[in-house]
Formats: sequence, C-alpha cells, structure tokens
Amino acid sequence: MKYLKQTAAAALAAVLAVSMAGCGGSGGNRSASVSESGVHLNFSCYNYSNSMDPVTNVNASWCFLRYGVGECLFRFDENAVVQNGLCDSYETEDYTTWVLHIRDGVKFSNGNDLTPGVVKNSLERLYASEADGTGNSTPSQYVTFSEIEADDEAGTVTLVCSSRTVNLPGILAYPWYGIVDTSVIDREVIGTGPYGVSSVQENTTVNLVKNEYYWDGEVPYDSITVYLTEDSSTKAMALKSGDVDLAENITTASDLEELKADPAYYVSETAGVRLGNSYFNFNGVLGNDALRQAIQYAIDDETMCNVTVGGMYTAGCSVLPSSLPYGYDQLNDPWAYDPDKAAELLDSAGIVDTDGDGYRELDGEKIQLNYLAYSSRNLDEFAQAVAITLESLGIGCKVTVQDYDTALANQSAGNFDMITSNAIVVPTGDPTGFLGNFYSENSAAYGYYANDTYDALYEQLLETTDQDEQLGLIVQLQQVLIDDAATLVHGYYNSTFASRASVVSGADIMPFDYYWITTNIRPAQ
Amino acid sequence: MAKILAFIKKNPGFAVCFLLALLVLGVAVFAPLLATHDPYEAVLADAVQAPGAEHWFGTDRMGRDLYSRVIYGARASLTAAFALVCIVMAVGTLLGILSGYFGGILDVVIMRLSDMMVSFPGMVLAIAVAGIMGANLRNAVVAIAVVSWTKYARLARSLVLKIRNRDYIAAARVTGSKTSHILWKYLLPNVLPMIVITGATDIGSMMLEIAGLSFLGFGAQAPAAEWGLMLNEGRAYLTAAPWLMIFPGLAIFITVMIFNLLGDSLRDVLDPGNF
Repeated sequence: MKYLKQTAAAALAAVLAVSMAGCGGSGGNRSASVSESGVHLNFSCYNYSNSMDPVTNVNASWCFLRYGVGECLFRFDENAVVQNGLCDSYETEDYTTWVLHIRDGVKFSNGNDLTPGVVKNSLERLYASEADGTGNSTPSQYVTFSEIEADDEAGTVTLVCSSRTVNLPGILAYPWYGIVDTSVIDREVIGTGPYGVSSVQENTTVNLVKNEYYWDGEVPYDSITVYLTEDSSTKAMALKSGDVDLAENITTASDLEELKADPAYYVSETAGVRLGNSYFNFNGVLGNDALRQAIQYAIDDETMCNVTVGGMYTAGCSVLPSSLPYGYDQLNDPWAYDPDKAAELLDSAGIVDTDGDGYRELDGEKIQLNYLAYSSRNLDEFAQAVAITLESLGIGCKVTVQDYDTALANQSAGNFDMITSNAIVVPTGDPTGFLGNFYSENSAAYGYYANDTYDALYEQLLETTDQDEQLGLIVQLQQVLIDDAATLVHGYYNSTFASRASVVSGADIMPFDYYWITTNIRPAQ
Repeated sequence: MAKILAFIKKNPGFAVCFLLALLVLGVAVFAPLLATHDPYEAVLADAVQAPGAEHWFGTDRMGRDLYSRVIYGARASLTAAFALVCIVMAVGTLLGILSGYFGGILDVVIMRLSDMMVSFPGMVLAIAVAGIMGANLRNAVVAIAVVSWTKYARLARSLVLKIRNRDYIAAARVTGSKTSHILWKYLLPNVLPMIVITGATDIGSMMLEIAGLSFLGFGAQAPAAEWGLMLNEGRAYLTAAPWLMIFPGLAIFITVMIFNLLGDSLRDVLDPGNF
C-alpha cells in the first residue's frame, strides 16, 4: 500500500511536470518566416491607438502610416527631406494656389482607384470631422483651404490655401493628411500603403495582409502581425525568444546594449527629431525667474542622458535638436550645469529655508513642485532624476506618473508645475509649428510662457519666405527661450529599430518616425 | 526565566521563528544605524553599479545605495503589512461577531456584502480600488483591507454561532448582563485566539500583496524605499543588473517566509483545536 502511494505520487508529479513543460514556448523556432500562408513578419510596438482613421486623433493618423496601411500625398525620406508620394508633381506660383497631380495607376488595397475626386473627399472629410467634432485631429493647425477642386480628367487636385503657405508639401506629408478610400470609410479604413488591415484585436494585435495592388514596388511580406506591447523589456525579450522579428523603440538601455552587442540582432539608431523636455508652468511658482534659472543650473543633462537613460537621448540646451540645421552651434547656454551656482542664485534671490525643514520657501511658502510625467520614452526616469536633484537643492518636488491622456488633460487644465514631454519638433519638415508652442497668442501655448520679443520674432517668422532670414529668426527664437529658461531641455531622443539579423533585413528606423513598416523591411536572404 | 526556558524547550520552532521575526523588526527599527548611506541620496553618475565594497548591494538606476534602500524598505513593508493585518482583523472580527450574535437583517446585510467582496478576484478589486483612490502606500493598504476583511468576518461569525447558544451565554443573559458585556467578556475571548493565529499567518501574504500592488504601480511611489517598488524599478535591468531585483526580492522572500513560519508555529503553540 505504501509503495502504491509513492508510485502514484511520483506518477502524478511526472504528469504535472510534463504538462507544465508543454505550456512552455519553443522559443526560437516559433517565429517562422515562411509558413503555409506565405512570408510572415512579427512586429512588436507600443500601442498608441486602436484606431487607424486619420481623423480620429494624432496617434490614430500616425498608426495609419506607421503600420504601412496608408500614405500621404508627400512623404519624408531618410534625410528628412520631403518627397513626392501619391502626388507625383505639383505647381504653384504664389504659394496660395497649388495644383497637385495625383499619381496615375495607384489603387487602394481594396482595388479601388485613387482618383483626384477621392483625394478631395478625403481632405474634405478630415476638415469636416474637425469642424463638427467627430474627430479630434486638428488639420487647420497647419493649413486651411478656401477651396479644394478635383479634376479627374486632368488627374489634378487644386488646393487654394487661406493664406500663403510655403511649406505645403511638408504639411501634406503629416499623417493627418493621409488619404483614405472615402467610399468605404464608414466600414473600414483603407489606404494605399503596402499592407491592408485584415483584423484588429484591440490592445493586442493588428493583422496586416499584402496589398496586391501596391504601386511602389514589390511588397515583401504576405502578412504581418503587429503585437501591441506596452513594456519595453517585454519587447526585448520577445525579440530574443524569437516571438517577434522586429521591435521598435526598446527604451530600456540595458536591453538595447545587449542587443547591440549581439551580432544576431541588428539595431538601427537615428539621431531623432524628437525633443525630450519638461515644460514649466509660468502661472505658478515657476514664474519666478531665479527659481527656473537655478533649476537649469542644477540639472546635469549630460549624466541624465548618458547614464540615467543609458544614452537613449543626446544632451542639448535648445528646443531644436543639435542634429538639425537650425544653428545650434550659434547658441549660447548661460545655464550650463553648475550646482553651486544654482544654490548661490537661490540664496541671493532670497529663496532660502527659513524654518529649517530642509525645503526652501518662496514668498513665505514652502516650494513643493507638482511634476507630472508619463512613462513613454524614458520621461518618467528623467522626471525622477530631476526631482531627486531638486530635493537635494532644497526644492520640494513630487513626481506623479500618469497615463499619457491624463497627463495631457492636466497640462491643458494647468494643473502642474512641471510636465514632461517628448515631441517631434519639425512635424511638417520645419520647426515653425513647434516654436508656436511658446507664442503667447497661441491658445495651445504650453505653460503660459509669454515674451514680447519672442512673439515679435515669431510673427516675423510666419511672414517671411526668405530661407536665410527664416534661419536667422529661428536661431534668435531659440536663444530667447534659452535666456528665459523657458523650458527644461533634457535632450534629443534617438529612435531605434531592433531586428533579428538572420530573419529580417532593411529594418532601418527613419528620422521621422511616421514610418515603421515599409517595403524596405524584407526577409533576410 | 525558568518558565521562559521551559517554554523555549517545549516550543523550539516557535522560539526560533519569533527571534527571527524580532530580528526583522530590529532591522526596521534600527535602519538608520544599519544603513551605510542615505537611502534617498542619489549620485546620478554612479547609477547601476555592481555590488562592491562601497555599495554592498550595488546601486540603483538613480545611483542610490541599494543596501541602504533594502534596509529602509523593511520599515515601509512591515509598517504597511502590520497596519493592514490590524485593520482587517479589527474590522472583520467586529463585523463577524455582530453578524453572528445578532443574526437577522444585520447578519444578512454583512454576509451578503461579504459575498459580494469574495465574488471578485481579490487582487483585481484591490487594483481597481487603489486606481480609483490614487496610487500611494496608504491607499494600497486600504484597498487590500477592503477585499480582505471578509475572511475574518466569516471566521468570527462561525465561531460566534458555535458558542452563542451555550449555557454560559444564556446564563449571562438571564443574570442581566448587558449585550456589550457579553460581546466583550464572553464572545471576543473565545474568538480571538483563532483570529490572532489567522492574522499571524496572514502577515506574510499581506506583505506580498502590498509588494504586488507597489510592483504594479498602485502602491508606494518613487522615490520611496519599498521592496515591491524596488522590484519594479529593477525589472528593466533584470538581465544586465540582476542585483536590482535579487536583493529586494530576497528581502521579501526572507521576511515573508519568517512570518509564515511564525504564524504556523504560533498555531502549534496555541493549538486552537482545543478551543
């Protein structure tokens, strides 16, 4: 009886062990590139939106382009220069009326023709959705049209801008202006990109299939599964285990270092066009110049970029990245890292700790900064490093990490002292729009910053078409922001793509991360 | 002294566990003496250093001394776990005794409320409560308390039901004892040993739940030195800097194990089977 029990227990344990082993993955072999259904790619990325309709909001429009589902009339190349897309030529004499010729022979992924009429309908739908509030995208932020005309016989669309718009091709390359098949948009989002959407499991996967009608060369994959993965380490582990072949923006420095060191993986990195910074709220205690300037002195951006976030950012002092041709070398940073000067500045401004609680007071009130952050692209790590530094200086600072939408809502409502941000500073190929964030007449200005000199220079920038003059003004605007300690610049984000070298080739990240899945990404031979 | 020695001789397991538990409590109480650095002092340039002579457990991603943070972490974890166990014991026992003694509509209301609570997965409900109330350690304790009191209420109720019709309770009623007197003098002492044993065995699991909530971002918030939060902070460095997870993880493991063993041995000592 005793042996029977022992044998039974051993057998039960063996059955359990075998069944648990069966639950484990087979790792490296799971990601078969060629299956019965054709060549397949598994791609892992952060989920920014479950929608791919450009009118829904910014993130949805970006997904439309990023997943290779849709395209715009123009697009940015690997050198961040705007190129023709669905429009193959254009004419303008006064930068107000633009005649765009729509590329012949282009079809949507459902086989419908791309005609000037559809382009007109798509653009009109975008503006109508903004006007009636059915969409949250705001295309009028960059350009409005007094007239849109389509001539199907001539194959042209005529756009009459409400005002002179020199950079219309760059603007029309922005994802909001992605062209959709309006004849079916009530049922599904169809674009002209190399892939079409076959199914979506919200927050989980997006399944894509080859667009048989694609106009711009061969489409390398028959199908793609996009795994929507929130966590950076999970993306890295999925890549290592072979569950995915390609992952975007692995933001954990240690994971990225490992992948870079291993020849089995190819990591593409590009000096990005994204600024990582924290906005100050000028309506609160940070309206005090000495306090802001002391914060600038106290923060060691080099160490934060190189150590705290492990080189994911390149340190800098201006809102426009040093890699872009906007005169970074001509700028002077009077607030370079010097913690002693920070303390001296605060002391001399009378911002001292009078009650001995370890925190300085401003106008008799203990300084306690409300610092909002969200976890995208290492921003929460920056916020914590800044808060720790400020605490050591006697400036109370509490970091609250929120989801992106909540943080944005609090930013809009002014419920913050500091808030992190990571944004593309040249969304349409030039920085005018981004610099407008500091223009006091802009209703969406961040942090209630206001400076008459800045406003006057910005208005000049809006007026001028001379490129040299534009550059001069942009340099001056940057310097004004630096001198005013208008925002705390952390650095410039380096975008990355990591792929399994034996499975995928051509997985290079573009400076403009509007484009993730392109026909350049193909199976390795 | 002779009595104590005799007790230790009779219950060596309990004595060892009790000493270990005292040791853990001592670490929390005397953290400032045991720590080698200020647990909140960050030297950003010294981030993620491996364990060595200067930093025994290495440094975290903000360049803080991990050993000192683990030591100070005992304070947050133990305080939260004890507070939580005390809250659920007090609330659960009170509601259970009232429910069992008075019966009727009060019993129905309390028990149906309890049924509602247990019909949700505990951790998920705690996450929801902590999410609504805001993420911090105090709210995490409240959130777990909201979903954990039912166990004590049911236990206390069943014990009260077992004894409320005994002769000595009836005699107390007949002799004019007030209800509060009966509850305090007759029912509570009968219920308490079992409740205390259950509470002692729960300390470990409560500590794990608090650490779990902090790990998920619903408990302690940065820059607090709390073990669950430290695990979460080290998660991204699991392969490159495993010490960031190993030491806080070991601290949780050892502490939870000690309190679990203490609870078990306390049960053996009190031997509630005789009640």
